[in-house]
Amino acid sequence: MAYHLLQRDHEGAQRLASSLDYALQHIRHCEKCNNFTEEVVCELCRSHHRDAALLCVVEMPADLLMMEQAHCYKGMYFVLMGRLSPLDGIGPREIHLDRLLKRTQDGLVKEVVLATNFTVEGEATAHYIGELLHDKGLKITRIARGLPVGGELEHVDSGTLAQAVIERREM
Amino acid sequence: MIVDKQRQEAQPAFVLHTYPYRETSLVVEAFTLNSGRVPLLAKGAKRPKSALRGLLRAFQPLQLSWGGKSELRVLYKAEWQGGLPPLQGTSLICGFYLNELLMRLLHRNDPHEQLFVYYQDTLAALSTHEDYMPILRGFELRLLQELGYALTLDHDVTGKPINSPSDYCYEIGRGPVKLEENDCSQGLRLSGTTLLDMGRGDYSSAATRVQSKILMRYVLNHYLGDQPLHTRQLLKDLQQL
Ligand SMILES: [Zn+2]
Repeated sequence: MAYHLLQRDHEGAQRLASSLDYALQHIRHCEKCNNFTEEVVCELCRSHHRDAALLCVVEMPADLLMMEQAHCYKGMYFVLMGRLSPLDGIGPREIHLDRLLKRTQDGLVKEVVLATNFTVEGEATAHYIGELLHDKGLKITRIARGLPVGGELEHVDSGTLAQAVIERREM
Repeated sequence: MIVDKQRQEAQPAFVLHTYPYRETSLVVEAFTLNSGRVPLLAKGAKRPKSALRGLLRAFQPLQLSWGGKSELRVLYKAEWQGGLPPLQGTSLICGFYLNELLMRLLHRNDPHEQLFVYYQDTLAALSTHEDYMPILRGFELRLLQELGYALTLDHDVTGKPINSPSDYCYEIGRGPVKLEENDCSQGLRLSGTTLLDMGRGDYSSAATRVQSKILMRYVLNHYLGDQPLHTRQLLKDLQQL
């Protein structure tokens, strides 16, 4: 991308450079949710219209945006900015699990919703956090997985279908 | 034996690890039945609509087809085989431990058919048994054996059978040396009972559990060199939480 901009779009390159420069100078991590923000505590974390008893843990800022777009959740967030990936050397320290633990101990959080990805790394991360918060007087939940809404069996991949069969529920 | 670089069709395989390659692709480190550990380029596998995306998951039996002439061959088909319950919780972390061992100790393109079968059986055992420690010890022993570093557990360096009440000094590359007057500066001290229990795969004794873990760590560290295993730290953390 850098080469392309340098060759064909000098103005675009300039704009990108200044916004990156701005981001580097002004963007920091929110003290509460760890998401990117220009303030000490971000707008979402300051809001009085959200349920402070719920804390949803996601891997990346894009995951938080998806949750918000789904209009299904009114609680608070914690953004890990990654996930445990033992084979890449990314452990609990690299994804700030000490800060997450501290965040859950504010006396308001009652339930921690684990919304890490359903990759093997995301699952390992959810398990580790579950163990970390075990016995801390919190309810720990994991979002459910299954077929996409409106999804047809014919078009779904085998892994998703196998998991949905394993996790089938009585009706 | 180093296998050639011909096209391979529907090879039984497991994904050990994947990492991003360029904008939309992945490099898959696969453990395959006939070719051992091979790196494969999964083109476009990071795209949301990619057919490969949901399939290239660790700990699930797959059939992979690949070809190409370059060092990094191209994966062009992956098929889900199923039949193994997914690893969850601590057994999932144990799975990562197996994969890290294989990534660190297997050479690329060096087939280990029996180890492949043993790996598959080990994953099945991890998904159904609570006590994962004997399963991990069994895998470590088998891995070392396949690599040509088998541990000697039934006789000492002079060829005499291991005597369970005696103490031994386990020296890497040699085996158990019976401890009498000699010290154990060149090895690791442990009981004959532990060696015999490990040989039988019997980890019911608490002393055997402790000593076998120390022995395997000692031997594996020798072959792994200076870099520690990341998954070992994670397993240790989880035991302390
Ligand atoms: Zn915030």
